Amino acid sequence: MSIYQRSESQRDLGAVPHTGEDVLPDGHLVEPQAGDFRHARAAPSDPEWFKRAVFYEVLVRAFRDDDGNGSGDLRGLTTRLDYLRWLGVDCLWLPPFYASPLRDGGYDISDFRAVLPEFGTVEDFVVLLDEAHRRGIRVITDLVMNHTSDQHPWFQESRRDPDGPYGDFYVWGDDDSAYPEARIIFVDAEVSNWTYDPVRGQFYWHRFFSHQPDLNFENPEVGEAMVDVLRFWLDLGIDGFRLDAVPYLFEQEGTNCENLPRTHEFLKRCRKVVDDEYPDRVLLAEANQWPADVVPYFGNSDVGGDECHMAFHFPLMPRIFMAVRRESRFPISEILAQTPRIPSGAQWGIFLRNHDELTLEMVTDDERDYMYAEYASDPRMKANLGIRRRLAPLLDNDRNQLELFTALLLSLPGSPMLYYGDEIGMGDNIWLGDRDSVRTPMQWTPDRNAGFSSCDPARIYLPVIMDPVYGYQSVNIEAQSNSTQSLLNWTRRMIHVRHEHPAFGLGTFAELGSSNPSVLAYLRRFETPGGDEPDVVVCVNNLSRFPQPVELDLSEHAGEVPVELTGRVRFPPVGELPYLLTLPGHGFYWFQITRDQEAP
Amino acid sequence: MTQQETSSVIAELADTLRDWLPEQRWFAGKDRPVHAVTAVRTVRLDGGDPQLVHAVVEVEQGEPKPDRYQLILGLRSDVPEHLGHAWVTALGDRVVYQAIHDPELTALLLDLLAEGAEVDGLSFGHEPGVDLDPTQRSRPIGAEQSNTSLVYGQSYILKLFRRLVPGTSADLELHRALAGVGCVHIAAPLGAIEGELDGEPVTLGMLTEFLPNTADGWAMATASVRDLLAEPGAYPDEVGGDFASEAHRLGHAVGTVHADLARALGSSEAGPGDLSTLATAMHARLDAAQQAVPELAHYEVALRAAFDEVRTVGGPVPMQRIHGDLHLGQVLRSVTGWVLIDFEGEPSAPLAERVAPASPLRDVGGMLRSFDYAAHHMLVGEVDPDQHATAALEWAGRNREAFCDGYAEVAGDPREQAVLLHAFELDKAVYEVVYEHAHRPGWLPIPLVAIARITGHGDTRHDR
Repeated sequence: MSIYQRSESQRDLGAVPHTGEDVLPDGHLVEPQAGDFRHARAAPSDPEWFKRAVFYEVLVRAFRDDDGNGSGDLRGLTTRLDYLRWLGVDCLWLPPFYASPLRDGGYDISDFRAVLPEFGTVEDFVVLLDEAHRRGIRVITDLVMNHTSDQHPWFQESRRDPDGPYGDFYVWGDDDSAYPEARIIFVDAEVSNWTYDPVRGQFYWHRFFSHQPDLNFENPEVGEAMVDVLRFWLDLGIDGFRLDAVPYLFEQEGTNCENLPRTHEFLKRCRKVVDDEYPDRVLLAEANQWPADVVPYFGNSDVGGDECHMAFHFPLMPRIFMAVRRESRFPISEILAQTPRIPSGAQWGIFLRNHDELTLEMVTDDERDYMYAEYASDPRMKANLGIRRRLAPLLDNDRNQLELFTALLLSLPGSPMLYYGDEIGMGDNIWLGDRDSVRTPMQWTPDRNAGFSSCDPARIYLPVIMDPVYGYQSVNIEAQSNSTQSLLNWTRRMIHVRHEHPAFGLGTFAELGSSNPSVLAYLRRFETPGGDEPDVVVCVNNLSRFPQPVELDLSEHAGEVPVELTGRVRFPPVGELPYLLTLPGHGFYWFQITRDQEAP
Repeated sequence: MTQQETSSVIAELADTLRDWLPEQRWFAGKDRPVHAVTAVRTVRLDGGDPQLVHAVVEVEQGEPKPDRYQLILGLRSDVPEHLGHAWVTALGDRVVYQAIHDPELTALLLDLLAEGAEVDGLSFGHEPGVDLDPTQRSRPIGAEQSNTSLVYGQSYILKLFRRLVPGTSADLELHRALAGVGCVHIAAPLGAIEGELDGEPVTLGMLTEFLPNTADGWAMATASVRDLLAEPGAYPDEVGGDFASEAHRLGHAVGTVHADLARALGSSEAGPGDLSTLATAMHARLDAAQQAVPELAHYEVALRAAFDEVRTVGGPVPMQRIHGDLHLGQVLRSVTGWVLIDFEGEPSAPLAERVAPASPLRDVGGMLRSFDYAAHHMLVGEVDPDQHATAALEWAGRNREAFCDGYAEVAGDPREQAVLLHAFELDKAVYEVVYEHAHRPGWLPIPLVAIARITGHGDTRHDR
């Protein structure tokens, strides 16, 4: 009886449960329900876990191939959870693994309730989740609420039957004249936010690619449908979502269609669902904007925040690179000084590398001028803005800088997000182009395919890195886990030190100025709820390649003793005079400031 | 101790102070013997134990007009160990020490400022609308040349002027004027301690907003130079530590301060007489400099020609209040941008000269000279200074241009008045020659080579 036409990516789903496998008499598509699947056990209860957590972004395709077809999958990832636990990772962030025609890296979702077949099934995901939770690791993933793939059955139905239940699921218009003030985001690929659909004979609205029609949130059924998508995965046990492209959900004539009040209303509604029904789960906003403009996505600070729990701090990353290149703390100091306070229940997500680079179109005019002034005259920095490189090649594989950058990431305010492979200093392959250069297979061993897959090397989804410096024969987990001096073991030690001190995740941040512009020093302080001695950590970073002295005003802690955190070495007590430290080039210290005269 | 007894403290200390004063960093008359120290005025600010005594003393060094200095002394019967280094002398059963090191006593100064108190001719006041928090604890900051500053918490800084001259200090006057027009490139003035000297008002102290987390322009610029010199053969725009965008922002800030000063205190056009006076003064400074440094003779003709040209500068030359002693050490990079400090003018000049309208190009020239210093000071003492001379020159050139570009965005382009600008640079370089000759002979080549370069003597290398 169904006249519903399955799109190509839906046909790939074959026999697995998927949206539109049946159609109800009223025209509604049947969608898989959480009750159809086993649920993962819950992670240990902890309402503030995301403020302390070390996140790890991992691409399912790139981590471990279990079935030997040359592409990573959920089962493969599950087999590597012990490694991630050993490393000290608290939460995995998986970019989208939903059914998709993959015209936008999986952000073009053609079924919110099915897994991309090459990655596995919903059941495989539940096993991953269950095994992760067993190890105390949480898992979040991306969810794109603003739009779907044009292959999504909702869109196929919407264009086919304007009067059917999905007729009003997308933003349709008889011409392309509405919302003229909304800018075109992908200016290189699109000429308009409207595209004509010959099937329906109307134009549809899209803020991103023309194959990604925007959902019509004015239609209450769309909001309801998206909340049900949230519930589907939350019921299975997922720990949260990174909400992609949140500023664009609603449209309104006479505005730029970004950050509209109704968008915030909808996010509040999603948050209420999470708070009421799914405690300990988090929403992470992806809003590539200036910190002051992102803060509204945390919601009302009087109640500790009632929209997203977390948001990315985008401008910090390029500022860290700029500060070290300039050997001046001010690029970082400035951006932190301009970052508003956030609600008590909220946390920033910070990163050095992920697949979201800062684009100058996304920032304020002043910042654009500033960044342009700093970067445009510097061909090397300019190139780094656009081209996606991994951390190690960006830093010329300089171990001192790799450690300094990682130490900054692990100690600045916010939850650090590591990018898979950076913990061993993996390289990139710029010949694969922007998108894929940093998505090559994880390097596990010096064996065939870097231990990533048992497939014929010719079948692998992207070639493993083979150059003499970063090739898998020398840069791999196996070799580095056997060497106590490796970057991997160093990174692991630093993550563990971070875990021992709540000040890093929960503490306040105060910069300690000094007359030496090349030194960035700050104090993190967490008042222990029991009224015990507060956890006070002082971080001192030399952004210069040359040794530097610094005199810090620690007089507030006169009589207390700085204890270096990696080796537990006690430094001389703080006196009334400025505290003198010397740092090697690109060196750093983490101290606990303790009142205890005995070794802690 | 009664007020009577307080006034005799200085008399009792006179012999000690004769030896003690020349040891103080801020004491200006180190080169001459101290014959006598007498009290001009002594005020007890707090009568307990410890006790805070404010004194203005006259120091007789054989000159017709003796210098006057401000002292802030503490008296205690029991001096805690951490104040040991502040000890001056014993007086009866009490110890006299430098009160600036004692937070217990300096807190009183902030109290009085917050109250707006008047104590025996000393007037403590805060600026209109300012509400001070008197609970902030103070610490002195080190390494100051001519004054003493106390930082209260992370909020305020109190600058205590040491050598006193009658009249409101230019520093206080200009801070107030700039605050009045909303200038963002200064630390906001918050209060002042004022008194009377020779029947005229005198500024004893100035309280301003403390800007935490700053670094001075010299430290910023030399970090950049260091980076460049470590990359042999590289151009300044190729290395990570490039300073040009900071220099541009700094030029913009200085231009803004000049525009704000003109707006607040007015400006006028220099007449031929003014320019002639200016040229005469430059010649006079060269006369004196040549007495001390005979090497200058080599450049005398060119220098005098450059100064003479000032008399014939065409077009309007604006005159206004300026900073007067601008260099990279007088600017701070804060997390919001550049801030100018210390508007006292050239410390050795008489007040009347320091507050007279001048060409803002004099500040620009001072800053351009400072870029040159930052670029070249690391070459001093090198076995082969020529190795880095090109890089240093390129660094200075790039950042001087960037500074002028930033300046020209808000005020006139200083390069359009090349004759005047060169004369100011040369005048400043002559002053530097004298200073280096007396204090740091090793650095003498820096200004000498600059003079050679500006006057077109060709040999721009370090030849010493």
